[in-house]
Amino acid sequence: MPNESNTIKKVAVIGAGVMGSGIAAHVANAGIPVVLLDIVPEGAENRSVIAEGAVQKLLKQKPAPLMHKRNAKRITTGNLEDDLELVADCDWICEAIIEQVAPKHDLYKRLDGVRKQGSIVTSNTSTIPLNKLVEGLPESFARDFAITHFFNPPRYMRLLELVADEKTRADAMDALRAFGDVALGKEVVDCKDTPGFIANRIGIYWSYTALSAAYDFGLTVEETDSIVGKPMGIPKTGIFGLIDLTGIDLAPHVNASMLDLLPDSDPFCQAFREDHPLNAQIMKMIGEGYTGRKGKGGFYRMVKDNGRRSKEALDLTTGEYRPTVKAKLASAKAAKKGLRTLAEYDDKGGQYAWHVLSRVLSYAAMLVPEISDDIVSIDNAMKTGYAWKYGPFEQIDQLGTEWFAEKLEADGLPVPEIVKVAAGRPLYKEEGETAYYLTLSGDYAEIAVDEGAWMLADKKRGRERIDGNKSASLWDIGDGVVCLEFHSKMNSIDAEMTEMLAKAAKIDKKGYKALVIGNDADNFCVGANIGVALFAANAAMWPVIEQAISALQNALMALKYAPFPVVAAPAGMALGGGCEVVLHADAVQPHAESYMGLVEVGVGLLPAGGGTKELTTRAIMNPKRPGGAMPAIASVFEAISTAKVATSAEEARDMLIVRPGDTVTMNRTRVLPDAKAKALALAEDYTAPEPVEISLPGATARAAFDMAVQGFVLQGKATKYDSVVSAAVANVVSGGDTDIKDVITEKKLLQLERDGFVSLIKNNATLDRIEHMLTTGKPLRN
Amino acid sequence: MKNVVICEFKRSPFTLANKGALAKVRPDDIVAQVTKNLVETSGVNGDDVEDVIMGCSFPEGEQGFNVARIVALMAGLPQTAAGTTVNRFCGSSMQSIHMAAGAVQMNAGDAFISAGIESMSRIPMGGFNPAPNPALYESGSQAYVSMGVTAENLAKQYDISRDDQEEFAVLSHKKATAAQADGKFDDEIVPIVQGNNRVEQDGCIRPETSKEGLADLKLAFDESGSVTAGTSSPLTDGAAAVLVCSEDYADANGLKKLARIKSISVAGCAPEVMGIGPVPATRKALERAGLELGDIDIIELNEAFAAQALAVIRESGMDMDRINLDGGAVAMGHPLGASGARITGKAASLLKREGKQFALATQCIGGGQGIATVLEAC
Repeated sequence: MPNESNTIKKVAVIGAGVMGSGIAAHVANAGIPVVLLDIVPEGAENRSVIAEGAVQKLLKQKPAPLMHKRNAKRITTGNLEDDLELVADCDWICEAIIEQVAPKHDLYKRLDGVRKQGSIVTSNTSTIPLNKLVEGLPESFARDFAITHFFNPPRYMRLLELVADEKTRADAMDALRAFGDVALGKEVVDCKDTPGFIANRIGIYWSYTALSAAYDFGLTVEETDSIVGKPMGIPKTGIFGLIDLTGIDLAPHVNASMLDLLPDSDPFCQAFREDHPLNAQIMKMIGEGYTGRKGKGGFYRMVKDNGRRSKEALDLTTGEYRPTVKAKLASAKAAKKGLRTLAEYDDKGGQYAWHVLSRVLSYAAMLVPEISDDIVSIDNAMKTGYAWKYGPFEQIDQLGTEWFAEKLEADGLPVPEIVKVAAGRPLYKEEGETAYYLTLSGDYAEIAVDEGAWMLADKKRGRERIDGNKSASLWDIGDGVVCLEFHSKMNSIDAEMTEMLAKAAKIDKKGYKALVIGNDADNFCVGANIGVALFAANAAMWPVIEQAISALQNALMALKYAPFPVVAAPAGMALGGGCEVVLHADAVQPHAESYMGLVEVGVGLLPAGGGTKELTTRAIMNPKRPGGAMPAIASVFEAISTAKVATSAEEARDMLIVRPGDTVTMNRTRVLPDAKAKALALAEDYTAPEPVEISLPGATARAAFDMAVQGFVLQGKATKYDSVVSAAVANVVSGGDTDIKDVITEKKLLQLERDGFVSLIKNNATLDRIEHMLTTGKPLRN
Repeated sequence: MKNVVICEFKRSPFTLANKGALAKVRPDDIVAQVTKNLVETSGVNGDDVEDVIMGCSFPEGEQGFNVARIVALMAGLPQTAAGTTVNRFCGSSMQSIHMAAGAVQMNAGDAFISAGIESMSRIPMGGFNPAPNPALYESGSQAYVSMGVTAENLAKQYDISRDDQEEFAVLSHKKATAAQADGKFDDEIVPIVQGNNRVEQDGCIRPETSKEGLADLKLAFDESGSVTAGTSSPLTDGAAAVLVCSEDYADANGLKKLARIKSISVAGCAPEVMGIGPVPATRKALERAGLELGDIDIIELNEAFAAQALAVIRESGMDMDRINLDGGAVAMGHPLGASGARITGKAASLLKREGKQFALATQCIGGGQGIATVLEAC
């Protein structure tokens, strides 16, 4: 949420194409009203048809650009001829129209006539230098002008590159920086006015190098992606999969614009060969409509044969499609031991990997200080703009600066200045509680940690944990607040984690006054470790299973009723047991991109860590619910029995997982700081919640739920066993053997959860579901 | 015994629930406007109205608080006119006509407004707080069976193919489309006005309905069945009302007479084939009227589902050419509580329009019932 110092209260986006509408959607996600304008198409009856159509698309697009459908209401649509006045009260006007200087200049002149004094105007250009954009425009305009370069899709790609020149007002940049960071949740990186700024400058070179070299080294598409994929810290699609996703037709455009903007001496211009066979192949594919996943297919395509879908890959030498063949390069396996093992591995995969690394990492390194004075900005840009797991300088450290320099020299390649300056020292180092990076001067500079924006790693550095085991740890994060960190495999809940949850409920004994539950992983917690559950069930260790469930319930209840505040700080997935942890906190401070839900029925179980109890009591006690218990508990029954997952923190509000007093953090690096601040605020005059007592309808509700479920079974929307699992869920949600005039306690609901859980896990169909999930990662519909 | 006549028939446009033009209009507002118009058009003296009898399947929320009394007051009837709400699910407002007829013959009043209302947009089918009796449900009783399943059961029992159902649905839309185009609904429809929103056209009829189009629809209730949304009546918002009087009163006050009520009946049947309810109900009503099915010129058979209507037609041997001349509920829509008054009022006005002697209006009812009314020309 925007903080109070935010000076940008209303935004306009001009140009309702993919980027413009995506930026507008994300501004709306931040809770800020936004005007979206585009041109009037020739002869159009509805003169605002482009912007209006763009909003309709936003509502349908997947992955969803809007965090909640109702956010679309914050977007006011119009056209540039009738509605230009709408920008008059906007604090920031973002231009995202066609990448040509003349139409942009035209637009800027018109905007300058209506915009209010002191408003900021930016371009989302990815290719046009700032100095060209303001050429010939009044000084007063140039002072308010900058480049804000978003990455597609704007909701999900974290990088926002900012470019100013010497005329741009410093306070305008401060406002953009703050808005981009806090309101939009972006990793804001200040860039210089150089071609492609940071991320595309390196990314385009990387993409061309990796793709063309794959052909040159005689690698298949699958082999390439098995190297330039997980082993090199690239999203698991691999690089061919990635350009299928972003659109193959984009490649010639971005290559051409970089060639045009860069001096001939630049390594990209030197390396680029128009007549490279892969370029010819790409042009042929575009001509035939093979533009990637949005078109007929790309380097991969899905084909349907007799109703069966199968995947094919392009043979790079013949240009024909063939069934995919799993890559089996030994180097890809060896890469588990580290990047250097991969680069040293003596097969074509290893040689290829070294070729790509040597070129790309050197290129990035030699661009210091041309594109940025510090290596941290470059690493951050690549990590958040191209989803690299490690930035180029972090990768050089993985290889070792000395080894890297020697190997470059051995290959007759130039050694970049920053690597020379390192002289064998790492580019990053940690001393005590501080982290440092190397500068071109040869000195290390401190990486400052902003008190409002940090990850748990920043608080752990150089410190000992208060307590912990292999699955979870307790950390002192200052001011009397403890952070409970999960770090088991995939952050799944096991006995050790339960033990730490229980210990976390007693931190007041050690003088602490609040607890935050959060971690730095991509996913907060994916649920219980079902492998352990399956093992226990196969050995018929029923008391052990029940004991484990009881322990989790007790730990979470202890946290809920602890004499100090507990704030959950989820980000990414918080599923099953992870969602139950969130549900037992006094408050949630979720990252906007949190995906929460009780998904246990997927493995034939019901939420028995108190999750069913918690959602049911919340629904019944919700002051906004309509009269009668049924609508309230029916929504809970539906959510649990269909394993519904909220696809944003805002959607989790509708499911009562996020409550009215909870606020959402847009920037991932601000989640824990915001959670800590909330915990401290709650700690003033904190009293534990009163025990909950509610009334539930009992048998009549079970009958009503069963009627609905049987209808779904008949329609083929639910399986026979779904109805068994649903019945167990219904038994808890309806209160078991109770009557609407009776009062039931949380204790009773927890007992119902345990009974239901144990009855289901004794069923072979549940075990089949668990086994199937463990082996395939997908739910079994039995 | 006094003769009972239907003097006037009015209804609101019938529009699709949730997406139609009446979705945002309260049901009491809809039926109050229809009732007011009925009183004005008929010329009945409000002081003479004994009772407003309102059929409604889910009389709660905006249809609650004894909505009949609320509507009487909203429609500007004098406070001396009483109001009662009755529920026989889909047969509710035909039941309200039967109750008026019975009261007239008991000498318990001369003028009655028999109306029906259902906003399926605003009050969900099943109500806001469904609470079935768990013991009855667990006993295996089909009392709460879903309506779609009953249609599937009849399709199986009477071997009614999906193709047959689709042909029936196409015909229903065709008749309704033609009637709409020829202005045959103009006299019966009361435009509903709310602020700037004026609704005067039926919204459920799809003139473009074709067998090819229907064949593409997914099965709605049973993945191995034959019933689709296209061969079911849609969820609908709407209201209907008739003025029921003693014939003596109508004559003395110079009121128009559409038809005389000759006999009435209700009948129970198995809940899982509730759609067949019109068969026993019709049999009883005809017997009480001393008529044979062949004597009936005009039939209004409520089309809850094409399969259900076809099952009734086949079982009782009805003549397709006499049924639902202006289209049935598959095309028109089926606002549960309002349909009985619509088809009975329709049958009465068709007798007059077509110059025929006898008419039958009949409906199936969830839970396993049928209801029927036999009318004769005045």
